[in-house]
Amino acid sequence: MRHPSDGTLRRLVDEPAGVPDVDRAHVAACPGCLSGLAAAQRDATLTGAALDVELSTDVAAGWHRLAGTLAADGRRHPATARPARRWRTALRSPVIAAVAAVAVLAGASAAAAANWLEIFRTERVAPVTFSQADLVELPDLSAYGTVEVTHRPQLREANGPAAARQATGLPLPQVGKLPRGVTGAPTYRVGDRMEAVFTFSAEQAARTAAAAGEPLPPPPAGLDGSRFRLVAGPGLAAVWSEARGVPALIVARAVAPTAYSSGTPFQTARDYLLSLPGLPADVAAQLRHFSADGATLPLPVAADQLSSRPVDVGGVPATLLTARDGSMAGVVWAHDGQLTAVAGSISADEVLSVARELRWTR
Amino acid sequence: MAVSTPGRRAPVRADLEQVFRAAYARVVAVAARVLGSRDEAEDVAQEVFLSFGRSGVPAGEAPAWLSVAAAHTALNHLRSGRRRASRERVAGVADPVSPDVADAVVTLDERRRVRAALARLPRRQALALVLRHSGLSYAEVAAALGLSPGSVGTVVRRAESALRKELSHHASPE
Repeated sequence: MRHPSDGTLRRLVDEPAGVPDVDRAHVAACPGCLSGLAAAQRDATLTGAALDVELSTDVAAGWHRLAGTLAADGRRHPATARPARRWRTALRSPVIAAVAAVAVLAGASAAAAANWLEIFRTERVAPVTFSQADLVELPDLSAYGTVEVTHRPQLREANGPAAARQATGLPLPQVGKLPRGVTGAPTYRVGDRMEAVFTFSAEQAARTAAAAGEPLPPPPAGLDGSRFRLVAGPGLAAVWSEARGVPALIVARAVAPTAYSSGTPFQTARDYLLSLPGLPADVAAQLRHFSADGATLPLPVAADQLSSRPVDVGGVPATLLTARDGSMAGVVWAHDGQLTAVAGSISADEVLSVARELRWTR
Repeated sequence: MAVSTPGRRAPVRADLEQVFRAAYARVVAVAARVLGSRDEAEDVAQEVFLSFGRSGVPAGEAPAWLSVAAAHTALNHLRSGRRRASRERVAGVADPVSPDVADAVVTLDERRRVRAALARLPRRQALALVLRHSGLSYAEVAAALGLSPGSVGTVVRRAESALRKELSHHASPE
């Protein structure tokens, strides 16, 4: 019979089960083919050894780098489209409309924390306690009225510390002692004040509720047509980068998000919006604790990615977030109407130590 | 809500991180077989995952797609990178793993020749070789390269034979 091809002999080395029985039987009894098989085996081993490289890969570091590139990629094409999109994403939910602080943190607040937020976003720390499914299921805000973005943050890199301070009017962070592995001078990113106006429409809300098959709870007197102005920023961030452009440490401060109401008190509107159909009960319960004074910081967390715990920074209550894979940590707090965040690809201890030793220069 | 999306570009797929964490080590390993250097392999892996992140490749096909993309990209690097060889040499000389300097030189020399030989192979042979040695099955290699499973062995065999000649030719004393 015909001898099997070299290719068949080669496959016999790796995947004998893939070679027909008749060929295997032939090879077993054919000295010529056995010798060919041995040669194939030898070359395969030699090649395997030549190609083999002993490797230890650091998946967390790899992901960090990719996330950093994606974030930077986003920053390279931001201009006008992206901040607007952020606002839209952020304002998609009536909950978010109700609670300005959440709104701003959930997406638009980039001005607040610039790069810091980027890190958190890529780590999927949408700072909202909703699960991802909740976020997707929440109805679009336009279902309850109209949203108009009146100021966009225009995120950009400042040409040095003086320019950052001038652009934002905020003090500059002075880090006492940089964590190990973080070196050099920071670059500065700034974002302008951002502002959006949401006008509640009872008619639209009723239509939305009807479409969902549920009646709209009667709105409080005067809510229809009420306008809520959501304001945040300006903000600045000092960013220390690794060689490959992945942020190693970020210290950011921004004017905390605040909601202003025309007519109906914000509190009233919030409670009403919280009662609308489509809002998970546990989320509603958490949101009731939020205020519009910029002093309370809702920092809901994707529990599978991050763990969070309360800490103290210079006597102010803060929230410490730690990636479950240990790749990053961050701490954030609100004080005197300003948000401050320290985050980076460093340990929780290092983050806290930087946060507690921060000084600010005017 | 995963990574946000800039202007007109394709959105970053939601499962990117999950796929990345599952497949990163393997993708680096594929590229490292071609390039012989971890740093460069990591660069290739980043490129590959960036493309994957904006692609619509079905999640089930991701592992094979990533391996093939890694092999292709790494071979592109290999062919375009003249500077790489010298960098590798510098990195390798400092390699503390080798107990014997003479051994290290031979290994490095060999490594360089393997890479040179890979760069000279027809693209399909080089891909089949690298993918097979990266653990893809004959059926997977066949699907990736548009070959019949029967001919994968033939292509791989040819490539290995060419590599062996390259190595033994240079290994013989002159």
